[in-house]
Amino acid sequence: MTQAGYVGASSSITVDDVPALYEGAKFYSPAVGDANKSSINSWLAGLLDRNGPVPLLKVEGVPPETPCVSVCVLGSGSAMADLPPAGDEFELAVRQIERLQRVSFGAVYPLAAATISALVAVVTAAQLKVPLLDADGMGRAFALIHHTAMHLSGVSPTPLAAVGPTGESVLVEVPAGPRADRMLRANVDTVGGWAALAAYPTTAGVLRRAALPGTVSRIANVGRLLLDRTDPDLLVTRLGAITGCRRLARGRIAELEHLSRPSDVTIPAHPSSLVVDEIGGLGRQLRIELRSEIVAVFADGALIAGAPDLMCLLDVSRGALATLDSLEPGDVIDVLVTPADAVWYSPRGIEMVGMGSHGIPLAHPRRR
Amino acid sequence: MRHPSTLPITLGELARIQPLAGAETHLADPARKVEQVVLAETFERLRRCTPHVLVVLHDEAATGGWSLASALHLAWERNLSAVVVSRAVAGGSSVALAERLNMSLIVIDEDPIDLALQLAGQVSAPAAARALRQARLAELLAEQTGIRGVLGVLNRELQQVPVALVMGGVVIAGQSAALTERPQVRQIEVEVHAPGERSAARLVAAVPVPGPAAVDQVESLLRLARPSLQAAWALSRLDAATRAAHEQAAFGLLRRLAGEPTPSEPAEIEAPSWASELGWQVGEANRAVWLAPVRPSGEPAPEITFLVRASWQRGHTTWPLVAEGDGWISWHSAADPDDVSALRRALATFRESAVAHRLVIGVGRAHAGVGGLMRSVAEARLAAHVAREDGPGAVQWFDQVGANAALAWLPTTEIAQVADLCLEDLMAARDRAALVQTVLAVLDAGGSLSQASQQLGVHRNTVLARLARARQFGLTFEEPGQRLALHVLCYALASLWSDATPDADGH
Repeated sequence: MTQAGYVGASSSITVDDVPALYEGAKFYSPAVGDANKSSINSWLAGLLDRNGPVPLLKVEGVPPETPCVSVCVLGSGSAMADLPPAGDEFELAVRQIERLQRVSFGAVYPLAAATISALVAVVTAAQLKVPLLDADGMGRAFALIHHTAMHLSGVSPTPLAAVGPTGESVLVEVPAGPRADRMLRANVDTVGGWAALAAYPTTAGVLRRAALPGTVSRIANVGRLLLDRTDPDLLVTRLGAITGCRRLARGRIAELEHLSRPSDVTIPAHPSSLVVDEIGGLGRQLRIELRSEIVAVFADGALIAGAPDLMCLLDVSRGALATLDSLEPGDVIDVLVTPADAVWYSPRGIEMVGMGSHGIPLAHPRRR
Repeated sequence: MRHPSTLPITLGELARIQPLAGAETHLADPARKVEQVVLAETFERLRRCTPHVLVVLHDEAATGGWSLASALHLAWERNLSAVVVSRAVAGGSSVALAERLNMSLIVIDEDPIDLALQLAGQVSAPAAARALRQARLAELLAEQTGIRGVLGVLNRELQQVPVALVMGGVVIAGQSAALTERPQVRQIEVEVHAPGERSAARLVAAVPVPGPAAVDQVESLLRLARPSLQAAWALSRLDAATRAAHEQAAFGLLRRLAGEPTPSEPAEIEAPSWASELGWQVGEANRAVWLAPVRPSGEPAPEITFLVRASWQRGHTTWPLVAEGDGWISWHSAADPDDVSALRRALATFRESAVAHRLVIGVGRAHAGVGGLMRSVAEARLAAHVAREDGPGAVQWFDQVGANAALAWLPTTEIAQVADLCLEDLMAARDRAALVQTVLAVLDAGGSLSQASQQLGVHRNTVLARLARARQFGLTFEEPGQRLALHVLCYALASLWSDATPDADGH
């Protein structure tokens, strides 16, 4: 068990870590609202209370032949709030793959150590009574299930199983990873608007090179900083030490634009943008492009940050992260940018999750 | 033979002709030249643009707010002249960013490709584009029937170049900023002869150099306005002449009406209906105003009447202005006889014109009805005579004049001629001015020598000595039979000599 406010390495996840995990997971997926907060937190806290802490192991600390599987929530978070999980969806999804592959998974890892997916990985590990790996496939949240470091390393997402809150399930096997997302999207609505996904069954040895290490303990640490409500300037400095994030600018929201423009069909989102007048500094006009997340920040028309950078907004008056659905003209916000894991700046990574995938054909500022 | 200018066309000129004339323009600098038009489909194309290019965004380069922001930034980096984009993409924040970067932004409703082609044609043939602009201006000018309308068109079309119509140093219409001399501004004048008129009016334009409009081009545009101006002038003069005659006749009738039936009860006469057709009001409290030249010289010329009317009726188009004798009558009718705020405001705004035309103003008291109006007119006229003492621009209210008004009517010139005949010795004396002044002071003081010496600022003995000398020349003012005549004579001579220049030795 760790002290409140403790920041550093930890070997297990306890009841006390749940709020920090939630906040940290939100930092890496700022578009997600708080609809599920209390139900998911109390569910996980109850599980940890009954089954005891979940061991959190480094990938190197697990024998290389150990079979591992990733879990995540597929579909919309608000659908999950409407139709809450019965509780056995994630366990069932893993069991389906176990039956198919005739293996017994020795560890679970989150597909993305962000959003609720980070928490359901802990839930699944607690239910299966196996350790959780301190690694994930994205290091933040991306839109599609093949936007992972494993996919870039040639690990197939399939066979995968998706179990809905209705108790129905879909088992998918495809030769080409990107096809899996298409097939799943078609089924998610039918099984209840969201589904528990178990995917990327592989071994710990493969994950040593294919997964992004340390990302689960990182969100716990970020979450503890965020829970310790403090002066925004101090918070940004502390976050910078852990995540490498920095403040691009502080400003006041001047305008919210909801324009219907041609949008990339592969990513389900409605583009809109946010205009912010910088306070102090050069008094620049910032334009923040929103899709399902913040995909680019322009200052006076010059691109200063863009996907796969992780950009989030900090509500200065509350000293807390601002979710994208809570913004209003007049709010004072800090625009923070956090570099994504290095793998996303490789040519293939940029091609997959860079600004081009959001319809912005400009060179990334880190690559110019 | 004048050659059309082959200088590159400027943004300001382009924005005045179709297809950009209908667009929403936010020009940072209308004087920016446009050397080339580029239809940019990609940001790559934008990056290859050279300075002084007008870029039309479409397709990938115009996909949303961010693309316009990015394009504006690139345009700023590349020193382009302007960015043209369709309305679907441009929001209020884009305009704010354009202003921040000092980059011209033009928002269009048309298809960007068609527009780019048209613009390219205009930019490659600047002379043709300018001719198009002149033709458009000529069309606009031809639609105008009033002087103000013509000047309005000129000032609208020649952005940043104020234009004024000036006659005898007075701005009749347009922006008076055209007359102020500033560095880096060249004034251009074009004479406009009103039909059958000796004195000419001038169209003056202040052209910033270097500026969006070439000097010779402004000049040709001003010349283009000349016929419309002459026509408008003739029309308004025709109107004005008719109206003046009409008003004069109507006022004459009104006066006869007041004088004829029962002069003892003038308030009972009602204002005839034709008076209100002229826009005149004759009501409870009529306060007349008499505008008169400082130096009357017979009936004023119709041109002066025209100018005085223009400035007097600015903002009070229903107030009459009737030429009468050597001046003009006007009046203001209100319910409350003590309400003079409107009149005071009108007098304040008219003051400048009064000085320019060397006029004085008399204001009568408020009286009811037509008879009262005539009485007020007489009072105003008296007051105006008194006002002459204070020079051009002076305003005299009859309330403050009283019986002294009688003095203003004295024919001082004629009385002085009498002095030449009756007091030959006095008029020949070198110190006649001092003698007359002293006698006048003593008479004004009711015979008190001490008061007179105080007023003159000389010793009592000096006053005594001067009186003795005056008596020798025939100024025997102690004799009761001559006292009034001599007092009047001295007043006339003193006021005549004080009007004349100090060093003039009599006349």
